[in-house]
Amino acid sequence: MNDGTTTIWPIIIVGGVLISFIVIGMMQKAREGSDYLFAGRYIGRIGGGAAIASNWMSAASFLGMAGLLYLNGYFALAYVIGWTGGYVLLLVLMAGQIRRFGKYTAPDFVGARYDSPLARLISAVISIVISLIYCIAQFKGIGMLFAWLFGMDYQRGVLLGGTAVVSYVVVAGMLGVARNQQMQYFVTIVSFIVPLMFLAHNLGYFWPLPQIGYGVAIQDLSREFSVNFAAPFASGTLFQWTALCFTLMVGTAGLPHVLSRFYIVPNVRDARWSVVWGLFFIALIYWSAPAYAVFARLMELRSGMVLPPEAARKMADIIVLKAAVMGGVPIWMVGILAAGAACAAFFTVTGLLLTGAASLSHDIYYRILNPRASENRKMVIAKGATLVLAALVMVCALRPPGLIAEITATAFALAGNTIFPVFLLGIWWGRTNRQGAISGMLTGMVITFAEPLFGRFVPQIATIFPITSSALCGAPIVIAVMIVVSLLTPPPSEEMRKFLAREVHGHLG
Amino acid sequence: MQNQDDYLVNLFKPHQGSMVDELSVIIAILAGWGVMNFGFQILLWFLAETPSGEGILSRLTIASFPFNFWFTAQFLPLWFIILCVIFNLYLDRVSERHSRKRDRTYE
Repeated sequence: MNDGTTTIWPIIIVGGVLISFIVIGMMQKAREGSDYLFAGRYIGRIGGGAAIASNWMSAASFLGMAGLLYLNGYFALAYVIGWTGGYVLLLVLMAGQIRRFGKYTAPDFVGARYDSPLARLISAVISIVISLIYCIAQFKGIGMLFAWLFGMDYQRGVLLGGTAVVSYVVVAGMLGVARNQQMQYFVTIVSFIVPLMFLAHNLGYFWPLPQIGYGVAIQDLSREFSVNFAAPFASGTLFQWTALCFTLMVGTAGLPHVLSRFYIVPNVRDARWSVVWGLFFIALIYWSAPAYAVFARLMELRSGMVLPPEAARKMADIIVLKAAVMGGVPIWMVGILAAGAACAAFFTVTGLLLTGAASLSHDIYYRILNPRASENRKMVIAKGATLVLAALVMVCALRPPGLIAEITATAFALAGNTIFPVFLLGIWWGRTNRQGAISGMLTGMVITFAEPLFGRFVPQIATIFPITSSALCGAPIVIAVMIVVSLLTPPPSEEMRKFLAREVHGHLG
Repeated sequence: MQNQDDYLVNLFKPHQGSMVDELSVIIAILAGWGVMNFGFQILLWFLAETPSGEGILSRLTIASFPFNFWFTAQFLPLWFIILCVIFNLYLDRVSERHSRKRDRTYE
């Protein structure tokens, strides 16, 4: 990983930015007093949008996407489309209704809608598994980043970076650091786009808007090296592209930590508009990521140092940083880029680990195992669970099963096969009952992991339900299972159906 | 039976007036979402001249991008934003109309 570029500056900048977030968070907390709650203050539509985008932006957006584009060209645009198009589904089919339903975590919604502790337990387990898979991808990004920063090998990078991120979570949790998501978004997006402008400038492309300027670079690739970056089916078939894209879309609409964003704005109308702002803020980073990939490809070919596929795959997840270094971007600016990546990964891990642990303590321990547990005891369980989950993630990240974006896509497939159908039918078909929901979620889990489970014995399964893109065929099957099972069993309570018709769909806001 | 139907929520059998309006715009938006996105990839597949899918759309250029790359990487995210804005503007209007009709201020 070490290519002789290791200097002290990027380390200082990354450390400085992370520490300043803790300090600023503490100052904010001191100012606002103890009544700081997620719902406790009005942040407006644009602010709500920035919060959605900041919550969304992880190592997968910051590092993983450019890496896959660098390897696969046009095919990887399925990630760009999947991760933006999913918001259309989310807005059109769910945002307003979930806001009116009034339950914002997946277990809360499932528990209330289907009136079933078992369905609640299953959805809590699924949410935690999704968080874990998502975290593994983040830890891979953090590991590669730390390996690059300190010039060490990947395993040590994971151990060091993992320890750093867990300490960050613990310190932030102990000091009760307020999360300022608007500022997090601002820091992340600036640290992604400004180095890209430097890079475009150094390479002689239109730099004020590198998102548009890299078009010429694509043409240079095909003219100088006859590499067609835009060939649609060079790295995958139409089915593979569509399956991946669709999976990421329904996954976006079903991802628990995205769904739970609708409670930070005061009413349905603002919730809807904050989704639009969030989508715009997210699109800013996705319009830019392909430029890093194209520039990296071009510089590599020009320097005549083309990596063999195996080695290219190994370093693809850090291609954003490599491109900046290759393109002669000043080292302090590379440090800012690295700090942005670290922030994206650190904040995502913090959010996912804390909500995962809270869910473990509340939805599983308190609701199922020990309903008489005191608040104190729940807190202790949550703290312990954070460390256990983090350790589990770190062990898995030591031998990462794929690229960052691929690991993340698996989490999306799970969400799209389980949470998405349960929410969709739960909102739009009053007849869906708990038997339907439970059998649907179980089917969805089997389908998601069908490739590693049965792929070796039945090759067709690996073709139809690839691990990163199982929801194109999976989600419709799950929905069908839910409908059939619901029709064969008694309907849900009359109050719930009345509530759905009158409150959730009764009037628009 | 009539009474039961009053609170039967079904995506394909909307009952209340507001839900009918909401549903028509939802279907329109989803159509625009699916056709532009999946439809374009299918079009690329039909127009492919080589196994890697090169064809007329990857030879044409727009803003110096190959057309297919520009469409997917740059236009589609913008198109999704446009769809969301249309949806929200429409729903704002519908909800205002319905809240006036029922003499109820919307949230």
